[in-house]
Amino acid sequence: MSSGQKKRNFQIEAFKHKVVVDPKYAEKTWKILEHAIHEIYNHNASGLSFEELYRNAYNMVLHKFGEKLYSGLVSTMTFHLQTMSKCIEDAHGGSFLEELNIKWSDHNKALQMIRDILMYMDRTFIPSTHKTPVHELGLNLWRDNVIHSDKIQTRLLNTLLELILRERTGEVINRGLMRNIIKMLMDLGPSVYQEDFEKPFLEVSADFYRAESQEFIECSDCGDYLKKAERRLNEEIERVSQYLDAKSEAKITNVVEKEMIANHMLRLVHMENSGLVKMLLDDKFEDLGRMYNLFRRVPNGLSTIRDVMTSHIRDTGKQLVTDPEKSKNPVEFVESLLEKRDKYDKIISLAFSNDKTFQNALNSSFEYFINLNPRSPEYISLFVDDKLRKGLKGVKEEDIEIILDKVMMLFRYLQEKDVFEKYYKQHLAKRLLSGKTVSDDAERSLIVKLKTECGYQFTSKLEGMFTDMKTSQDTMQGFYAAYGAELGNGPTLVVQVLTTGSWPTQSSITCNLPSEMSALCEKFRSYYLGTHTGRRLSWQTNMGTADLRATFGNGQKYELNVSTYQMCVLMLFNNADCLSYREVEQATEIPPSDLKRCLQSLACVKGKNVLRKEPMSKDIGEDDAFSVNDKFTSKLRKVKIGTVVAQKESEPEKQETRQRVEEDRKPQIEAAIVRIMKSRRVLDHNNIIAEVTKQLQSRFLANPGEIKKRIESLIERDFLERDNADRRLYRYLA
Amino acid sequence: MGVQKDRVRFNVGGKIFETTATTLAIAGRDSLFGAMFDENWDLQPNVTSTEHFIDRNPDCFAVLLDLLRTGELYIPSEIPEKLLYREALFYGLLDHVRAARCGPFDGNRLHLERSIMGRAPGDGTAIRAGPDGGCCVAHGSMVHVYDWMLEEHPPISLDYQRVNDAIWIDSESIVISACERLGRDDGGMGLFSASTGELRYKFHVTHDNQVKSYTGGALSFNSDYKLFSSCKGRSNEYGIGVWDQVTGKQIDFFYEPPGWSLGDADKLQWLHGTNCLLVATLFPRKDNCYISLLDFRDKNMVWSWSDVGAPATDERRVRDAIAMEETNSVCVVNEYEDLGFMDLRSSAGIVRWSSRSRLMKGKMPDEPCYPKLALHEGQLFSSMNDSISVFCGPDWVLTSRLRNSHGGSICDFSIGGDRLFALHSEENVFDIWETRSPPIV
Repeated sequence: MSSGQKKRNFQIEAFKHKVVVDPKYAEKTWKILEHAIHEIYNHNASGLSFEELYRNAYNMVLHKFGEKLYSGLVSTMTFHLQTMSKCIEDAHGGSFLEELNIKWSDHNKALQMIRDILMYMDRTFIPSTHKTPVHELGLNLWRDNVIHSDKIQTRLLNTLLELILRERTGEVINRGLMRNIIKMLMDLGPSVYQEDFEKPFLEVSADFYRAESQEFIECSDCGDYLKKAERRLNEEIERVSQYLDAKSEAKITNVVEKEMIANHMLRLVHMENSGLVKMLLDDKFEDLGRMYNLFRRVPNGLSTIRDVMTSHIRDTGKQLVTDPEKSKNPVEFVESLLEKRDKYDKIISLAFSNDKTFQNALNSSFEYFINLNPRSPEYISLFVDDKLRKGLKGVKEEDIEIILDKVMMLFRYLQEKDVFEKYYKQHLAKRLLSGKTVSDDAERSLIVKLKTECGYQFTSKLEGMFTDMKTSQDTMQGFYAAYGAELGNGPTLVVQVLTTGSWPTQSSITCNLPSEMSALCEKFRSYYLGTHTGRRLSWQTNMGTADLRATFGNGQKYELNVSTYQMCVLMLFNNADCLSYREVEQATEIPPSDLKRCLQSLACVKGKNVLRKEPMSKDIGEDDAFSVNDKFTSKLRKVKIGTVVAQKESEPEKQETRQRVEEDRKPQIEAAIVRIMKSRRVLDHNNIIAEVTKQLQSRFLANPGEIKKRIESLIERDFLERDNADRRLYRYLA
Repeated sequence: MGVQKDRVRFNVGGKIFETTATTLAIAGRDSLFGAMFDENWDLQPNVTSTEHFIDRNPDCFAVLLDLLRTGELYIPSEIPEKLLYREALFYGLLDHVRAARCGPFDGNRLHLERSIMGRAPGDGTAIRAGPDGGCCVAHGSMVHVYDWMLEEHPPISLDYQRVNDAIWIDSESIVISACERLGRDDGGMGLFSASTGELRYKFHVTHDNQVKSYTGGALSFNSDYKLFSSCKGRSNEYGIGVWDQVTGKQIDFFYEPPGWSLGDADKLQWLHGTNCLLVATLFPRKDNCYISLLDFRDKNMVWSWSDVGAPATDERRVRDAIAMEETNSVCVVNEYEDLGFMDLRSSAGIVRWSSRSRLMKGKMPDEPCYPKLALHEGQLFSSMNDSISVFCGPDWVLTSRLRNSHGGSICDFSIGGDRLFALHSEENVFDIWETRSPPIV
């Protein structure tokens, strides 16, 4: 306590624990470091001692002169960067970028060395004071003093954009230099790269491609235009990989896509003589694939292609199914459908990368136009019939499967699957009964496919037909085992026992069989009824066939393959030389239309005319007379005499089938209504219609008028009632 | 023998050392040696003939050189640890020293490294291990921060409000959550610098575009830089708040559904595999326990369990819960340290208890601490009274037990940075457990 402080109260002075370092020490130490930084920038570092500089920087931080060290660093580095900036500004023309690149690498090297010296500050002082670390500081100063200086910023951008333009027009530029400069912008931070380069780059590119696409589209066809667009797109992608930031790829391709594709999409697709329709017609897989790959990149691109393709398929398909020429030949009709389907399948798989949405569009288009022709179900069944009768001979098993699968595909498009079923049943019955079916495996395979597609119910009757065929075989074996010896050398009988209901219904008008045959038939009847009680047999003479051995006038022997009706007629001539039409009709009781057809095929077909007719004419008259044609000859010993049948249904037959289908639908519709009402109890009219349609759509498209009729019928029969309050509501009556 | 070209000679504080450039390269580019021998600075053409003078302590240099040569740290008893750390910082070798200090963490080979007495009054709330070996200890309204050298840094607090939870976002940043004092806009959550204790950011909660004060509860964060906290606002704005760690802005809020508890949660755990947050509210904070898994992408509670309606026996009361993603299960513990397991793939809500309570009952100390759970690399840890149990294997067999004789019951523990920290409740002391470096052969 000194005497001057006497008046003051007792006071404790804070203990000065800090030893103050000589203020000149900090100044001296900084001078050494500052000098070193100068030398580093002047490429004159060989005289420096790293250990000494490191220790000096350490000491400054240790003795709390970190702030001085840091601010000294900022001002010294700024000074050098401004000098560098001057040099770069002064560089002429082409050497501008090179000078910038050289100075950038100089700065980087200097920055690294400065950071080495100041490592201790970087590690301790900077984090605790939240200052910018040395390396980042160096980059920021470079950005502010060089890249963002007035005389460099715009010039740099223009130089870069001009070089890219030159490259786009075919010149070769120094990509290495470009890469370094762009890399520098990226090193300075994403915002520098984006603001000082990427944004203007994208704008300029958009202008460029807008102009170029306008020029292209005026003078090229669609295919060529797309080639050019693809090339430009690939060039830009390559440019990004060569010297731009990888993140720019999506942005620049976006620009090209928008300017070259999106803006011209409709014009390209509809281009006369080279647009999408033309490509589809000519199977231009490569062009189509290119269009797909380019259009998929832009919004609504694929839907544009899909829509045009869909309407094209619909139009051409409609033409196809309504073409009267095609309708003449069902097999050809179906073949052209399959051809069309194959064509588009191939396009979708080769060019449209099996795109699901395109496949769906194809399917819905086929569904649309196939059902435009009400005879499609019949034709498809006829096509199968043709294939299974003869078409599959010598075809390998896998190929059969392929054909059947294709048929199934067409089948799936049908709305009236029950109509198909009707025809299929008829055709199958004919095939089975006449033994015309080529491959049992193929038949069964198709049944299995139908079953997986439509369920058990759909095929149960078809399967019943196969079962009948098999059972009949066994029955016949049993019959001959029991009666074989007794029958001796008489005619042989083969009976196919058909379950009623499984087979297409036939008006069973039995004709008079020759006595030999009717005796045999009676034997079989008693055998069959003896083994199966409670059954009824009726003969379907209109569906049978017979093999006859005939000896003609000149002693020539032939084996004739004829229908049962024909057999009945021919057998009459064993006991008579000449018979009139009326006599034949009386003796056989064959229905007139069938008899006429039968006589026509026996007497009027050249090469098969085992009978002679008086007078000679094409048609059978009621007053005609018939006798055995003694002069009949044939190169073959076996002669097959077909019946003159129209393969395709005649108009009245068609009407009949149609009517049968409608008749069959009634109980199905009623069953559906009852099922739905049983679970819902109360439902309004529109909803019933919708539900019924939905339930039945796997079999046929129910007609709303018909559904309404069925509802009314159910109301009459007290299954349903109308709600008293709301007449649109129906109630289920349990 | 050929001439060895990479020999290097040092004169450190007057003592000569010879080593090789290969050994020095171990130090890495980001060290004095890395810079010194970089081609930029490789000034003398003939390296072998000259010696490099370094004006530092030779004894410490010897230890550090040995560390570079062998990868092992051996500190002679006459060198204070702090001295060595200071020298390591000068050379830029502090990270090497930290890494070599102990072996990789293994719950079955831990030994007590140190116990540190604190000065804070009152009971400890939480202890949290930092990512590089430091820790922070919450006591009442203060959080004391220690670095890996166990040097104490300036403590942190949020307006001196009672701290509920603390969490290390990275080795430099700690987030703490605190209670709100009625009538003032304080409490909530703040981000602090671990080294200086400065408040760097305060996280706000807004409801309907209005900033509201709130009480921050349990904390968690994920690798997407999202920060989660259970929040209680004054006007029943309970739920889980989500903030962006980079911008500090609130980006989401999962409101507590009626009849459930989120805002009071004791524990949050982010599940990386399923991108969901486990939220657990436990007895005694609430009368019942509520554990749920939240999916923030579609604001959906994808899994939940509660003991509401179940008989509240002590044996069946869940005291802590932890999700174990590898086995798709949640592990829970009761106050007798029985472990129970629930399947995250089923919503049946069945807890399979593996009972050991018969052993524990009747041995409870005067001032018990309820069990807490932690999971670390396939080992399950559970604290109970004054010891920590380690469970391993698919059936979670008890394999080790850690106990320190003084300090009383363990109220919280935490694993991180190859260390286990345990905070005691009776005396203000915490233990640091480490794995010894691996044997020489």
